[in-house]
Amino acid sequence: MKEGFLIGGGLIIAGLILELCVGPVVWTVFSWPVNGIVLAGFLTVIVGMFLLRKRVFAFRFIGTRQAAIPTLVYAVILTIVMGLTRQKSLTPGSSLMGEGSLWINYMLNFWPFVLIYVYMAVILGVVVLKRFSKPRWYRSTHDIAFLLNHLGLFLAMTTATLGNADMQRLKMITVEGEAEWRAMTQEGTLREMPLTIELKRFIMETYDDGSPKRFASELQIQTESGRSIRATVDVNKPVEVDGWKIYQYGYDTQMGAMSKISILELVSDPWLPLVYTGIYMMLGGAVCMFIFGGRKKIVNPQSSDSK
Amino acid sequence: MVTWEQFIYFAIAAVLLWAVGAWAAWREKAAMAYTSTIAGLVVFFSFILMMWISLERPPLRTMGETRLWYSFFLPLAGIIVYSRWRYKWILSFSTVLALVFVCVNLFKPEIHSKALMPALQSPWFAPHVIVYMFAYAVFGVATLMALFLLFWPHKLGGHKGLNRGMSGDCSDPQPPNLRGLDDLVYVGLAFMTFGMLFGALWAKEAWGHYWSWDPKETWAAITWFAYLIYVHYRQIPTHKPKLALWVLLISFVLLQMCWWGINYLPSAQQTSVHTYSS
Repeated sequence: MKEGFLIGGGLIIAGLILELCVGPVVWTVFSWPVNGIVLAGFLTVIVGMFLLRKRVFAFRFIGTRQAAIPTLVYAVILTIVMGLTRQKSLTPGSSLMGEGSLWINYMLNFWPFVLIYVYMAVILGVVVLKRFSKPRWYRSTHDIAFLLNHLGLFLAMTTATLGNADMQRLKMITVEGEAEWRAMTQEGTLREMPLTIELKRFIMETYDDGSPKRFASELQIQTESGRSIRATVDVNKPVEVDGWKIYQYGYDTQMGAMSKISILELVSDPWLPLVYTGIYMMLGGAVCMFIFGGRKKIVNPQSSDSK
Repeated sequence: MVTWEQFIYFAIAAVLLWAVGAWAAWREKAAMAYTSTIAGLVVFFSFILMMWISLERPPLRTMGETRLWYSFFLPLAGIIVYSRWRYKWILSFSTVLALVFVCVNLFKPEIHSKALMPALQSPWFAPHVIVYMFAYAVFGVATLMALFLLFWPHKLGGHKGLNRGMSGDCSDPQPPNLRGLDDLVYVGLAFMTFGMLFGALWAKEAWGHYWSWDPKETWAAITWFAYLIYVHYRQIPTHKPKLALWVLLISFVLLQMCWWGINYLPSAQQTSVHTYSS
């Protein structure tokens, strides 16, 4: 296990050096097609490590629990640092940190953090390939649970991270009776959307004590292809049109229930199906974990707990 | 109309029934242990159900309400463990733990309003929280087992039948055998995974993204990884059982941080979307 802690420690030192030399990780550079190329390269590296595992000790080691455990320990420690400190986001599109902020206030952009999680993904990838190469793996519930858990996490982690730069979240301010097709990006610039949305009515209901019960917007949505859709968007009930999920985001708080405007959030995340595939695999893995337990059942008539 | 005022009657009845069940387990009266514990669960759940009806929303919003579920799930986890491995002491453990949470709710009642803010009105709300509470309860029981194995192993080993299922294999070179504990951790981990992923699916519907590294999410990830360390470490043949037990104890401390600790964490103030009760 010592080797594992050394590798992780080395990654953290390498990360610190990188942080000093090139500054924090700027995730926005990973937008399509860069993330596609990086993913292909990443998978190639993992397959290469798997194929060369018999010749290179380090690659053989990566597929072991002795490699996984120290990595998880480092991930826990770094994530605890993240959990104990106030987290901020970089100025959009740059590597600028706010004044008086430390590296640890930007954990998601902190090289040591990123490298440990990338290394975790490498371990997951190699381990999954190793298990697939096992003869008749599909006949063992234990192996299937293993693959669902590990491949699911690999898929969810990798595609969520790489796909993040392709995710678009824009705010659209709609006014009752007026058609709107422009929305504000996170960087604060206006953009024309492929959808035109008209607010028919903003709905706000309150409980007897005045606390909010319901926020919703009745919308008329026109797509580029000329389709016209009537929909009501509630908090917790977004509407999906042409790959865009439309959320109830805000309203004119001064006017309250009389608000004539409604702020919508439009979200597009083209990598979502891949992330969800990973999540559903992990859910399947958790079902297996619950039913079969994690370990192999050892057949031993003398043992009372191997029933 | 059921309110917190009536909680004490249901609580006393349920705890008494659970105590009788725990006593019956020590006396090896399995049928009585089942009947009494389950009766207690029914009494307790009927209170939850009536609260649900009178609040017109699932009672899952405040810490007091989640403690209600926790007190319910502890004896439930206990009776499931009992049915599988027949540990005599497990029902006593779960009853005492449930009693602690019942007492907290009795002595530190929180004012509960009917209002359920729009962000919480989702079909994901109940499964997300209930599944997590069950996982926490199972891990609570696992932590108690770990404490006993770590500090009073002779007690577990010395009493006849106490260690049944725990060291069934006499040739095992690493007494005490932690297999029973492993099974518990796997159940807890499975439910924790459900809770976390249900949360992710819900977050996508409510906030537009499935994972935003909100302080609650960050601590959920930490806790999840910590239990994964235990699970993986236990699979190494040359592992040290005591260290494994310590990992389990530390994981439970991290879990407390995730459950309620972040409410007191300066870095999480105003940034967490999970602090509803304030």
